[in-house]
Amino acid sequence: MRIVVAYKWTRDPAEATVRADGTVDWSRAKPGLSAYDPMAIELARQLAEVAGAELIGITAGGTGVAVPIASKAALSRGPDRVVIVEDESLAEAGRSELAAVLAEMIRYIGDVDLVVTGDSSVDVAAKMVPAVLAGELGWPAVAEVTAVSGQVGALRVERAVPGGVQVLEICGPAVLAASADAAVPRVPGMKALLAAAKKPVELLELAALKVPPSSAIMTVAGRSRPERKARKGQLIDTSDPAAAAAELVAALREAGTL
Amino acid sequence: MSVNAWIIVGDQPAIGNLITVARSLGGPVGAVVAGPRSVAETVAASGVDKVVWCGAPDDVPAEASAPAVAETVAADPPRVVLAGRNPGERVLLGAAAARLKAAVLTGARTVSIDGGDVIVVNAVFGDIAEETVAICGPVALLLDGGSVPPAAGGCVPIEEAAAAPLAMKVIETRTSGFDQVDLGEAHRVIGVGRGLAAKEDLAMVEALAKAVNAEIACSRPVAEGLNWMGKDRYIGSSGAHIAPQLYLAIGISGQLQHMVGVQGAQTIVAINSDPNAAVFSQTDYGLVGDLYQLVPAITAALK
Repeated sequence: MRIVVAYKWTRDPAEATVRADGTVDWSRAKPGLSAYDPMAIELARQLAEVAGAELIGITAGGTGVAVPIASKAALSRGPDRVVIVEDESLAEAGRSELAAVLAEMIRYIGDVDLVVTGDSSVDVAAKMVPAVLAGELGWPAVAEVTAVSGQVGALRVERAVPGGVQVLEICGPAVLAASADAAVPRVPGMKALLAAAKKPVELLELAALKVPPSSAIMTVAGRSRPERKARKGQLIDTSDPAAAAAELVAALREAGTL
Repeated sequence: MSVNAWIIVGDQPAIGNLITVARSLGGPVGAVVAGPRSVAETVAASGVDKVVWCGAPDDVPAEASAPAVAETVAADPPRVVLAGRNPGERVLLGAAAARLKAAVLTGARTVSIDGGDVIVVNAVFGDIAEETVAICGPVALLLDGGSVPPAAGGCVPIEEAAAAPLAMKVIETRTSGFDQVDLGEAHRVIGVGRGLAAKEDLAMVEALAKAVNAEIACSRPVAEGLNWMGKDRYIGSSGAHIAPQLYLAIGISGQLQHMVGVQGAQTIVAINSDPNAAVFSQTDYGLVGDLYQLVPAITAALK
């Protein structure tokens, strides 16, 4: 029995700048494990322990996703091994291309009963890769999963719905996108980091996977930096809280906001 | 009749915006409904040209109908397939996109047709940049669903899809005790961040919200992690995007992923004890100080 957890090695757009021509300058953004992936890896590890399953981390992306520090960041948090497709053509891949590659990787690994992912990536935040991946595999998918119990193959999956929590029973293989509170991630210690360095890392060639081509050809016709509303940037002196409050309320009333 | 745009509908018929966008592209609009029959009936009266209901039993979640949705859409392949931004509809859109091998875009600001291409102005990387893309081939778009459309005066017949649902069912539903909210409807919104020390302190914020007639919202960790509020109250690139008259950020540092959700606000006020907090570079009025003094002071000043 195998459980797969998909992770992403990427950059945080909060550390990027956008040039006047709309292109993104990532040079000052440090690559790292996508913000919510440690929770997904932890959840997958816990499920693998219960099931006695092998846990395999997978990722696909452009040049850089297979650097040792990236594999170690994933492996030190729980997977027994990782399988990686590193191909520059995937650097600008859309959600559906990426999901199609991940689906072929899961078929290549074989004997997989469960796929866990983070709910959204820190860079794109589209929340669509797990959904398209499940569509590619023909498996049930649940997004924003908050807790999982039961056995792989007969899972009880909790998710938040407006006003409450819903518990779903899923038979057979599934794709689960874990919300950030689905598990408390471990902070890998020295022992985990040393062990991670010895775990297997398998690099797959994109061409060997025979990923079916997309039916849509997308070309970028233009880029721009969105106009931001100009803000007043006025600081109100708060040495006397009551006076500060009165000043703020007066300003908001004058602006017609209150 | 060949469908130009398919709208995917889950548990709620909140697809007013999707109908508007689909109509603007011209050609017949179809809707495939994975939720209850009552949703299909509302949709059938909303002015779309065709409705297919997947017919799953009540204890089966909308996601179980993913194969039926994909099948229905692929049988009458559209140029564009649209769905709203909730977890169930994302899963259904993903299934349709996988089947059509469609391009998937989630940040569309405008959508139009130019000859053989679909043109989308699409926000990327947490809305820091925009791309205008031309797509030749099928496109799947995740958009704000909008409100429930009013009855258009006339009803199309409801067809039924025959595909078997996936092996998943709802075995329990518990209420969380959190009130539901539509932040998009609120004229004033107060956002709470991790600067608030304890959940009990929300009472102080609620007093201000009452005085200023605002809804309370939060940053992602407050809803997901601290669980102080329902997930429909968190604002940001992966949460709600709002454009109220007033946004008052309390104890919020001003991370990009949060602030993109309030770019549309007419006026932004921030209270934070850290004078270097990023939020102050993105506000109209900034108050550097202790929120435990300032929030009650503002509440009092409003009385």
